[in-house]
Amino acid sequence: MSREITITALKYNPSDKNSKPTFAEYKLTETPGMTLYIALTKIKASIDHDLSSDFVCRAGICGACGMVINGKPRLACKTLTSEFKDGKIELLPLPTFKLIKDLSVDTGSWMKNMSIRVNSWIEAKEQIDINKIEKRVEPEVAQEVFELDRCIECGLCVASCSTAIMRKDFVGAVGLNRVARFQIDPHDKRTDSDFYELIGDDEGIFGCMSLLACEDHCPKNLPLQSKIAYMRRKMVKA
Amino acid sequence: MLRDNIVESILGKTTQKRKSRIPAKLDFLQSATGLILAIFIIFHLLFEASILFGKDSMYAITKMFELDFFIKDGSPIFISILAFIIFVIFIFHAFLAMRKFPNSYREYLRLKTHAKLMEHSDTNLWIIQITTGFMLFFLGSIHLYIMLTQPENIGPFASSDRVYSDVMWPMYLMLLVSVVLHAGVGVYRLIIKWGWLDGENPKKNRLKTRKIIKIVTIIYLIIGLFSLITYIKIGYEHRDNYGERYKVVSNEN
Amino acid sequence: MKIKYTEALIIGGGLAGLRSAIATTKKGLDTIVLSLVPVKRSHSAAAQGGMQASLANSVMGEGDNEDVHFADTVKGSDWGCDQEVARMFVQTAPKAIRELASWGVPWTRIKGGNREVVINTKRTTIKERDEAHGLINARDFGGTKKWRTCYTADATGHTMLYAVTNEAMRLGVVIEDKKEAISLITENSQCYGAIVRDLKTGELTAYVAKGTLIATGGYGRIYKQSTNATICKGTGHAIALEAGAYLANMEAVQFHPTPIVPSGILLTEGCRGDGGVLRDKDGYRFMPDYEPEKKDLASRDVVSRRMLEHIKKGKGVKSPYGDHLWLDISILGREHIEKNLRDVQDISKTFNGIDPADEGKKGWMPVLPMQHYSMGGIRVTPKGESVNIKGLFACGEAACWDLHGFNRLGGNSVSETVVAGMIIGDYFADFCSRNDIVIGTTVVEEELKRQDDYINYLLSLDGDEKIYDIKDRMRIIMQDKVGIFRNGKDLDDAVRELSELLEKTKHITVENKCRLLNPELEEAYKVPMMLKVALCVAKGARDRTESRGAHYREDYLKRDDKNWLNKTITYWENPDDLEPSIKYEPLDIMKMEMPPAFRGYGRKGQTIENPLSKKRQDEVDRIKAEHKGDRYELQEKLMPYDLPNGYKAKNERLGVSYE
Ligand SMILES: Cc1cc2nc3c(=O)[nH]c(=O)nc-3n(C[C@H](O)[C@H](O)[C@H](O)COP(=O)(O)OP(=O)(O)OC[C@H]3O[C@@H](n4cnc5c(N)ncnc54)[C@H](O)[C@@H]3O)c2cc1C
Ligand code: HEM
Ligand code: HEM
Ligand code: SF4
Ligand code: F3S
Ligand code: FES
Repeated sequence: MSREITITALKYNPSDKNSKPTFAEYKLTETPGMTLYIALTKIKASIDHDLSSDFVCRAGICGACGMVINGKPRLACKTLTSEFKDGKIELLPLPTFKLIKDLSVDTGSWMKNMSIRVNSWIEAKEQIDINKIEKRVEPEVAQEVFELDRCIECGLCVASCSTAIMRKDFVGAVGLNRVARFQIDPHDKRTDSDFYELIGDDEGIFGCMSLLACEDHCPKNLPLQSKIAYMRRKMVKA
Repeated sequence: MLRDNIVESILGKTTQKRKSRIPAKLDFLQSATGLILAIFIIFHLLFEASILFGKDSMYAITKMFELDFFIKDGSPIFISILAFIIFVIFIFHAFLAMRKFPNSYREYLRLKTHAKLMEHSDTNLWIIQITTGFMLFFLGSIHLYIMLTQPENIGPFASSDRVYSDVMWPMYLMLLVSVVLHAGVGVYRLIIKWGWLDGENPKKNRLKTRKIIKIVTIIYLIIGLFSLITYIKIGYEHRDNYGERYKVVSNEN
Repeated sequence: MKIKYTEALIIGGGLAGLRSAIATTKKGLDTIVLSLVPVKRSHSAAAQGGMQASLANSVMGEGDNEDVHFADTVKGSDWGCDQEVARMFVQTAPKAIRELASWGVPWTRIKGGNREVVINTKRTTIKERDEAHGLINARDFGGTKKWRTCYTADATGHTMLYAVTNEAMRLGVVIEDKKEAISLITENSQCYGAIVRDLKTGELTAYVAKGTLIATGGYGRIYKQSTNATICKGTGHAIALEAGAYLANMEAVQFHPTPIVPSGILLTEGCRGDGGVLRDKDGYRFMPDYEPEKKDLASRDVVSRRMLEHIKKGKGVKSPYGDHLWLDISILGREHIEKNLRDVQDISKTFNGIDPADEGKKGWMPVLPMQHYSMGGIRVTPKGESVNIKGLFACGEAACWDLHGFNRLGGNSVSETVVAGMIIGDYFADFCSRNDIVIGTTVVEEELKRQDDYINYLLSLDGDEKIYDIKDRMRIIMQDKVGIFRNGKDLDDAVRELSELLEKTKHITVENKCRLLNPELEEAYKVPMMLKVALCVAKGARDRTESRGAHYREDYLKRDDKNWLNKTITYWENPDDLEPSIKYEPLDIMKMEMPPAFRGYGRKGQTIENPLSKKRQDEVDRIKAEHKGDRYELQEKLMPYDLPNGYKAKNERLGVSYE
């Protein structure tokens, strides 16, 4: 049942002038139901105290643990070691984001910049009275907004997107999805022309080349393909 | 006007404080020109394939393009005009699409390594698209230049002579493969890009679209190859009479 | 050395911290929010079930209002809560949810007409009012009289956190993530900010502020098994403790019966609600033996206790991760699972490779009760200020405000975070605008230097102990001896062992001597902090010789209102102490709107009554009988309370307007 697995991880500390990028190799015994979170925690506690990676919820809900696992950007906490038949797992930090150390990258700053850039919030233009019964929303519309609100800012869509890899300022599927989310939200009073101001350029909606790696790697299965197309249609007319 | 351009180039906004609508137009035109070219190619390859049904049918179609139903015996000038229009669209499309190319070695390296590591189907398709696009830039230009300047040299014998005796077939082979792949991938991506066939279940419909496009692309490759082989065959048989023009002998034959 | 000045400093960017930041920013204060992780990854995002607010939109919530919510909350707390705070809370919750709706939380909405629900394992059809179409829906939750828990499918905390973060960004709140507060700057029992370590560079900076608010969430990670995120280490509690602040009711720790093993991810109560059962190593359904009446569906704490009892009898399933039991929902059939318990299936498949719809043993999911929520925390007044350190505020799970007493109701916690953010955030803002910074830079620099030296000291240690082993040991002690079942002997051992461990942290070696970005160094300063928090929990539990809410003593089975109607206050007198000091703050029955009584569920006749309870009840009854006027006036007579910012205004409800 239990076998030995080999985990290889890129180790590099950009803030340390003496640090050279190396691939460290760890061998450990697989336990039933072992996720990469469990494996890396084990490695950190007993083999290499110095290995850095980001885990928060370890349940696939917070989006902290994205890394490139055998070539594919994925959430490490949702990846079982048993998936890899030959027991070899190679880990790299997510590309595009700034490397902090080893497998830990700065998705936070990237997402913050993106959020500010696309004005990721409700613009209501009017004050509501919170003592009064809330504004009605069609159940289906609320559901549709929710579907897009499920994004966890893991950045896998960005890390898998070749446009983002080449063009540093591209807002990524996460940003375009965010705008679509507010575009359909009845609480938001912005017009398409307002949204055009935010994403109507080659770093925004017109930069996306429909490569769909975002759609295929999104751990939340968001409808990125159709929502980006939707925004593109809106923005061309805006 | 210059002032406006200065403002827009620095700020990405027009002097009316609004964001420029040019990017939207460019994106739209990129697709539009691609679509026009794709539709052109779809028909073009079918017309060229008329050679499979004999020299007469190819000749008839050539004459049709020279508008023989309009002016007596037609005139190659119309082919020149068509070639010119297509050339303009072609250059414009290339110019628009080139914005999407990796524009430095580092970008190219990043892209290549990334795509290779990830092994993602649609990203690979796009790599095919830019590679074929790059090839088309040269091959297509050569072909179009010839069509533009020698519109009279089209026909069952003239074309075949060019293909075989002028040794143009290697170029055509490459042109054929790249244009069919480029158009196939291009149309698929157009459908995705604008969500034309999203329907109820975009994920499923995407797979379906991809399958259909794949089949059509293969069919087109086969038709094109057979036509090319036919041109080579005719050219080979006609090698000793290089330069002779085709004449419809008689309708009874 | 770097010093940064701001008006309001908020440590913690979960729901509580960010909502408070909105309050201070709205009052025009420069605000900085610090967080260990990008704020949208805070653990608030993990809340699935929902948020309680008495909107009374759904037919199953009809008749609900502040009074009903209040009663549920007080009973839930086993009378351990502050009733004044509970009142403040229930009054503001409906406003909070409506505000959140306007900020974009896509609350699940009511569809007028019939819908099918499962009540008591039976399919039932209920008819929603047409007037309610499009209003916020609610679901049923444990311990509530009405359906009051509003939700967005299974991602309530996530959508709330995103909406609140978005609004904070719109207002221009300065959010700094990957920053860890490692100590507070205090002088003469007043707090002036914090020393903060940048987790991207390892650099230390002093953040000096007029007021400091701690909203750092729970401390579940001191337990080996917890549903909490890896960052829930209680360092916020620890820095307050080290600065001299009081922590209250730290022994009040909630356990959830069915997180999956080993990952600790929660499997919703709905599994059992729909008819799933617990089984032991022999596949035997054991709950009916213990609880013939409610069986697998007894309350959270009861089921958790019974499960452990059964494991102690040797009936647990052995695994590399310790003993566990099985949760079997395969008996519900594949169709039901794939329709109604999709998320459970997804979690089980992803994390355990088990498809719970597979028939028989193959589909059983390994579960074990685990730590889930910390009711205790930094002791604050109803205004949110620390009872003994001026300028230090706290809210959310990190605080003991105290809304939950010894047991919190599901759905009351995310609700508390935003409500507290509104109320405490407002009081905090007032404090910051009233006060000026009156602290010399020398004090700041001294504290900065002390932390700097401390890090050097940790790196210079040269002992045989291993920090990772100490941490593991602590988490096992907490799990085994300060868990669901508690008894004097185990707790005694726990306190002793934990203080030994605390001593051992002074004899470790940090192998990697790098000051920057060194995960081992981080452990070296966090583990002693966690140990101090753990000691507060263990010692509080040891000394509280009664059973109340989640605190269950095998050797003292009764709730003792006579001697224990109070809050445990733990504090650290001297930095070198290896144990916290402890004292008690009494609850005043004569001021309660709802004097202690039977909860209406759980074990009956297990209370040692306080004579004052009856006295106050008679008084309350008399006031009620004599009262003429509406329920608001009556409430005011029974137990007056204050709210800032107009939050005391009445809440409108469908059909009954403002009544
Ligand atoms: C699995 C799970 C499900 C739950 N479901 C529900 C539910 O359905 N309904 C409900 O009402 N409640 C639920 N809860 C409880 C509820 O989610 C939490 O109690 C609540 O979200 C806590 O919010 P908070 O803002 O106080 O803290 P958190 O959201 O935990 O935020 C803490 C913040 O403090 C920061 N921080 C911590 N330490 C430091 C430091 N030293 N320096 C700087 N920053 C620091 C962190 O980075 C983070 O930003 C659930 C809890 C869990 C674990
Ligand atoms: C109006 C402009 C065009 C005209 C008049 C034209 C005409 C022709 C003719 C007459 C041939 C037969 C071979 C020959 O005579 O040399 C041919 C072949 C071919 N053309 Fe064009 N062409 C045009 C534009 C294009 C464009 C834009 C492309 C693609 C970039 C293209 C791709 C091809 C290919 C691939 C073949 C080989 C067909 C086969 O092998 O079946 N042509 N074209
Ligand atoms: C000079 C030759 C050409 C070059 C350099 C070129 C390049 C490109 C590139 C790089 C793209 C991708 C753009 C993107 O992803 O956004 C593209 C798209 C496309 N091309 Fe071409 N191309 C050329 C000729 C053609 C021809 C001859 C056709 C027709 C058969 C064609 C059809 C298309 C289509 C349909 C698209 C998709 C449009 C879109 O994505 O908006 N291209 N081209
Ligand atoms: S869109 Fe999907 S992949 Fe991208 S950040 Fe959001 S959840 Fe992650
Ligand atoms: S992968 Fe990138 S190019 Fe567009 S469709 Fe997705 S964002
Ligand atoms: S740790 Fe939260 S998604 Fe993996």
